[in-house]
Amino acid sequence: MKPKIAIVSASGCRACETTMLDIHYGVSALNRWAEIQFWPFVLGSSMADLERIDHLDVCFFSGAIATGSDRAMAEMLRKKCDRLVAVGACAAYGGMPGLKNLKKPATAEAADRGDLPEELALPEQENRVRALDGVDGIDRVDAVVPGCPAPVNLVWAAVSALVCGGEADARITYAAARLPEEMVRPILSGLGPPPGAVFAGEKAVCATCSRKKEEKRFKAVKRPYQAYESTGRCLLEQGLICQGIATREGCGGLCTGVGVPCRGCYGKPPATFDPGAKMVSAISSTFETEKPAEIQKIADDFVDMTGCFYRYTLPAQCMLMKG
Amino acid sequence: MTDYEPKIIAFLCNWCSYVAADAAGVSRFQQAANVRVIRVFCSGMVDPSYVLKAFSSGADAVLVAGCHPGDCHYISGNMKALRRSFLLANLLKEMGVDEGRFRLEWIAASESPRYAEVINEMSESVRQLGPMH
Ligand code: SF4
Ligand code: SF4
Ligand code: SF4
Ligand code: FES
Repeated sequence: MKPKIAIVSASGCRACETTMLDIHYGVSALNRWAEIQFWPFVLGSSMADLERIDHLDVCFFSGAIATGSDRAMAEMLRKKCDRLVAVGACAAYGGMPGLKNLKKPATAEAADRGDLPEELALPEQENRVRALDGVDGIDRVDAVVPGCPAPVNLVWAAVSALVCGGEADARITYAAARLPEEMVRPILSGLGPPPGAVFAGEKAVCATCSRKKEEKRFKAVKRPYQAYESTGRCLLEQGLICQGIATREGCGGLCTGVGVPCRGCYGKPPATFDPGAKMVSAISSTFETEKPAEIQKIADDFVDMTGCFYRYTLPAQCMLMKG
Repeated sequence: MTDYEPKIIAFLCNWCSYVAADAAGVSRFQQAANVRVIRVFCSGMVDPSYVLKAFSSGADAVLVAGCHPGDCHYISGNMKALRRSFLLANLLKEMGVDEGRFRLEWIAASESPRYAEVINEMSESVRQLGPMH
């Protein structure tokens, strides 16, 4: 029997869900392997349809949990699905919608002032934006495909591993080079990925970045438009805030390869405690001066470090603000 | 809150501030008793993640103390600590940790009164601020 699958988006931009369609002829292949039972975006399925379904094998879930209906859908899918897969930074770590947690909701502020228009028809908001596994009713997520958006090759590695029982060898081999060996072996032998598998590497982006570190130091922070070298030297050492050192590898340095600093969309590598702390230490160690006043001056040039270092991960990986 | 006792985590360098803390105890300087001391080999090894971990595990304040500039046993570990402290303080401030809850101080082995003074100052100001969460 073909495995039954669901593909859904909660609060996100839907690019992750669209990745599912980015495989061109692969779409018909997916249909050959699996029976897609619930896919609001493409099949127009509704919550009532989901209620009628007894059991699903795999669900590819993208988007963060920000509204009451996100939560209800996630909790119901967890009950009905054998394997729930978080696809993309939003579902995996809270993603960019998670930055909402930095501020009190506008509606709450308006309510404090007492001027909330009564007929305001907004979806019911959760008090905090959460990653999929941050929801009370969800005890585990069975696999994660990070990235913003999760890239086609890794999404397909996950689909092949979880839905096709390792049969779609060609696609897995394509992604295998980027996956840790302990993960690839059981997948290729048809056992499926280990529980909680993250479809990405284990080291930091720096490990696969093509740029050269020269132990140079910088005097001032720069923005991407102020410095552009398509190849060559490490961007961090040029004064750009490149978060490759605090980010899980798996993209192969997609952004840094074209001269754009890494913004951390794969979340932190397993060995990093907190991405912000890692960036503070990486950036500070490149300051040239030892004079307190001068260090203070450079440090004060960094604005919105929280929004920058935890751009994709605030609800799940920021030690001081998660939860 | 009258019976609120702030918890202070103090990362003290083995070669100077830890000795000062020890001496402060031995010579019975009056000092607030709400400090948990963690002895480290050098202030330069206190990674910003230790400080975040301390705060996220319930510390109300964190002190990092090391040798005076020029006196670090490992030559420049304390400069490393100094370089990081500014950015770290700014990040903590952004995340709602009040100024004064994180401090970097130079306290030599011979400066036990200074150690007691820093601890007392910190616990007083943190008591004013109240608990973290
Ligand atoms: S992870 Fe990025 S691409 Fe995917 S849904 Fe969220 S915002 Fe969109
Ligand atoms: S910091 Fe950025 S540019 Fe430098 S090596 Fe790491 S990923 Fe590459
Ligand atoms: S370089 Fe960084 S931001 Fe770009 S895709 Fe890779 S992990 Fe994401
Ligand atoms: S040895 Fe004391 S600060 Fe380095």
